[in-house]
Parts: sequence; C-alpha cells; structure tokens
Amino acid sequence: MRDSRMAGEKQHRLRFTLRTMLGVAVTVLIFFPIYWLLISSFKTQAEMRLAVPTLWPKSFHWSNYAEAFRVIPYARFFMNTLVMSVGIVILQLNVALMAAFAFAKGRFWGKEVLFFLVLAALIVPDQVTFVPVYVMMSKVHWLDTFWALIVPSGASAYGIFLLRQAFKSLNNDVLEAARVDGAGRFTILYRILLPMAKPTVVTLGVLTFISSWNSYFWPLIMTNTNNMRVLSVGIAMLRDSIAGDEAMYFHIIMAASVMAIIPIVLVFTIMQKHIVSAMANSTFK
Amino acid sequence: MNSNSQSAQLIRETTAKADVSPHTSKKYLQWIEKAKDFVFAVPALIFLGVFLYYPLMNSVYISFTNWNMTKPVKKFVGTDNYVKLFKNEDLYQSLKVTLHYTLLDVVLTLTIGLMLALLFNVFRSKMYAVMRGIIFMPHYISMVIAAMVFTWIYNGQYGLLNRVTDLMGFEPIQWLTNPSTALPALVAVSVWKGVGFAMMLFISGMRGIPNEYYEAAAIDGASGLSRFRYITLPLLSPMTLFLVITTFISSMQVFQSIDIMTNGGPLQATNAIVYWIYTMAFTEFKTGRASALVMILFVIILVLTITQWLVSRKQVHYEG
Repeated sequence: MRDSRMAGEKQHRLRFTLRTMLGVAVTVLIFFPIYWLLISSFKTQAEMRLAVPTLWPKSFHWSNYAEAFRVIPYARFFMNTLVMSVGIVILQLNVALMAAFAFAKGRFWGKEVLFFLVLAALIVPDQVTFVPVYVMMSKVHWLDTFWALIVPSGASAYGIFLLRQAFKSLNNDVLEAARVDGAGRFTILYRILLPMAKPTVVTLGVLTFISSWNSYFWPLIMTNTNNMRVLSVGIAMLRDSIAGDEAMYFHIIMAASVMAIIPIVLVFTIMQKHIVSAMANSTFK
Repeated sequence: MNSNSQSAQLIRETTAKADVSPHTSKKYLQWIEKAKDFVFAVPALIFLGVFLYYPLMNSVYISFTNWNMTKPVKKFVGTDNYVKLFKNEDLYQSLKVTLHYTLLDVVLTLTIGLMLALLFNVFRSKMYAVMRGIIFMPHYISMVIAAMVFTWIYNGQYGLLNRVTDLMGFEPIQWLTNPSTALPALVAVSVWKGVGFAMMLFISGMRGIPNEYYEAAAIDGASGLSRFRYITLPLLSPMTLFLVITTFISSMQVFQSIDIMTNGGPLQATNAIVYWIYTMAFTEFKTGRASALVMILFVIILVLTITQWLVSRKQVHYEG
C-alpha cells in the first residue's frame, strides 16, 4: 500500500517535471522572435550578416537607436501615435459611456432597435467603409490631420456592448437614491456609475489604447506626409525606402521596432491581469 | 425588486401625480425624460451613422458605378463591376488564397492553442503564470513589427531560418519569394501571434467547468483521454465557437502581413482579398471595382457568421 503510494507520487513528480520542461521549451520557442528582435537591434550591420548568427550581440551597438531617429522622423511619428491613441481612447470611452448608460438604464423609443443597430456594427469589416470615409475626409480637408486619425474611430460597438453589460449588472437603487437627491444624468453617469464600473472602463481603455497604437490600415490610408505618419506606417516605410538589399538596414528597423513596442509592453505588463480576465468574461456574459 | 426601490418608485409616482397641472401633464414630463435618456445615445448613433452606416450604403452604391476616385463623376454601370470580377481569373485566385490562409490559420491557431491550454492549465504556480504571460505577449505586438521580425528571420540570404536549414543540410529556401512557401510563412506569423490568445480563452473556459464532472468521471473509471473527449471538449464548445468565428473573420481580412512581407506576390500566391481591394482602390484607382469586391467579401463574412451562429444554436453545449 505504502509502496504504491510512493510510486504514484514519484510518477506524479516525473510527470510534473516533464510537463514543466515541455512548457519551458514552448515558452522559449514563442519568445524567440521577440528575443531575436531585441538582440538584432543591438548588432552591427556586419554582425547581422555573419554566416553563423550570434545568439548574443558581440557588443551592444546603441547607436542603432539614434540612427532610427536620423533615418525617419521617429520622434514625430512617436508623438503622432501617442496623440492619436490617447485621442481615440478619450473619445471612444466617452461616447461608449454615454451610449451604454442610455442603453442600460434609459427608457426611450426604439431602444431595442437602436441597440441592434449598434451590435450589427460588429460584423461590418473596416474595408466596407474605408473608401467612402476616405472621400469624406478629403472633402472636409481632414486627410493628413489628427481629425482623420481619431474621429472615425469615435464609436466602438464592442465598447458600448461591454460597458452596457457592466452597467446592467449594477443595482438601480443607488441611481434612484441619487435621482431623489436631485443628481442630473451626467452626475449619475460620471460620479456614480463610472467609479462602480471602473475595472471594465479601465480595461476597455487599455485595450483601445493598444489596438490604436498598433493600428496600421486606417492610418496608412488617412495620412500621406511624414508630418502625420504614425509609427506602424513609419516603420513599414523605413523598410520600403531601403528596398533592394534589405539586410543593409534591418538592425535599424529592429531598433525602431523595439522602441515602438515599449509603451505596449509597459501597459500590457501593468494591466495583464485585468486584460485577461476581462477578455475571458466579455465573451459570453 | 426590493422594498427600497419599491418605495422610491411609490414616492416618484405620488409626486408625479401631485404635480399634474394644466400646463405640465404627466405625459409631457415622461416625454422629456425619455428625450433626455435618448440624448445620451445620440453621440454614438451619430458616429455609427456617419462613419459606418452611411459609408456602408455609399460603398454599395459605388460598387455599381465606374468611379475611379480621380474623376468627380460617378457613372452608374449596374452590375458591370460584379460581372467583370466574376469573369476575372484573379478573383478565384484571390478567394482561393484567402480561404487557404484562413483555414490553415484557424485550424493551427485553435489546435495549438488548445494543446497549450491543456499543458498550462493545471498548475497555478507563479512560474506557469509567467510562462502564460510570455506566450500571450505576441498578441499585443503590432502585426507590422511581427511581420518585420519574421521578414528578417525568413530572409533568404541572411535569415535565421535558412541558417537552421543549412545546419540540417538543406538548400536555402527563399521563404517569402517562393510561391509554395510564402503563404504558409504568412500563416506562421499569424499563428505565432494568435495561439496565446486562444490558449487564454481555452484556459478560462476550462476553469469554468465544475470539478464534480471530473470527479464523477474518475469514479466511473474514465481515462484521461476520455475525460477530455467527453467532458472538456464538449464544455469548451462555446469558447471554441467564439474563437472559430473571430479567428475566421480576422483571417479573412488579412492585410498587414501581406503588405509588409510579400506585397501579394510571388505570382499572386498571397494576393488575399483585402490586399487586392487595397491595391485596386489605391494604386489602380478602380474604386468602383474595388467596392464591388468589398461587397463580395462582406457577403462571404456575413454568410459565414450567420451560418456559424445558426450551427452554434443547435450544436454547442451551453451550461445550465
């Protein structure tokens, strides 16, 4: 009896070890491209072209990072991306908060039909709207301005849906009490509901920030000068401009990419717990 | 409803009745309240109207014209764009490429994601949490940068991948310029980016399965494999369906990686629909034709989504 239990424990421990080894191997494999990006950003051009690639840079060539600022207007691109992303987050959150409030707690005509129109927006791909929106933006002379980068992303059906779900789960008594105390709708929304739904709002803000920071298709179409380009488009451009022998500049592209990832990694690392649980919850509830 | 809100309701009703005067009828006050509630939905409705519903209608209209963006005149040409597209060999090539890409992407991302979930679900130790975090990381790295790194890894002359094949004694492969490897190479990037997300959702699905099911199965002497087959898999089906739909729709729209890594080539081997739409609209300026292609894509996505939704109502096991 005792022997078999010990054998079982031994087997258990062996399985745990095997599992962990496999887990570590998979993790290393998936992390590898990110690692490769990082170390390539420190290599010299000559080291990039070695017949036997080095897994650790011979010396850390920080000047690649400075070079990225010289080859493209990197600082400008970075600021553009930041302004665009923050702008979209602020606009989208406010629009979604108001709409979610109306659809969760309000009573008005055609509420169900209108909410269906919001949800239906989820199945319309970007490609369906980009030509007319491009024309619209060019008519009002918004092409190549922050307006064109931010305003078309004003309403997110996903955000409205997520916040509405959060608001619906909140008790009405507090709202009634506030109403009796004479609080207006804006006060109720921003002073009472917003703090109560804070985890969802914060998560939504972070997800919106990350996806705006990473967006490519929309900024590619809406901008056409270096003055207004964002990082994703700028980095792609950096590569296009050196067509031919790509290997010439890849170390600089890698440095430019590393710098573009840093804000995302920061936000992601800080918020990881919230992001993951919110995504898991948002799918079915 | 509890007593608190009932009394609040009562107070409101009585005060409302008391307020009735010849000038401000109860109906009028209610109308004002509804209007105020409605106002909060207005910004969202305006944004959706201006940037989604109007452009959607406009796209439908443009798809029936011969407009080429540089000309201010749009001439109505009926179904001409559609007819020409359906006669064009390129359409079938593009559909084939897109479907090929999508199927590979969905199958690989979900299978590997599920396997990773099984591997990483069990232990709640700190180390496993860190590993899960690392596997999830590619999901938030922009596709542009992912595509850039992989372009470097795939590089025919200096790329890492060819050093590996070289060590194993194979000839170097031009991964992105060879028609037979370009598409799988693109899929690999997407799978790399997507498996972490799939894993996370599968894990959260697995954690939602009540432990009693497994205990009961263990008493009945069910093996690990049959527990997986008869408990885990069916109860994960809502999560699976969600992932299938979202992965399917996003891979149908593959664009960034193609724009950066292959430009639709070699020999159209990666000319997926959205990339083709983009080049048609912005480099060939055939706006009407591009809009018709947009509509074809939209209808495909719509039909698939509805089908999957209908299937899900019959086949998916939801709890409770």
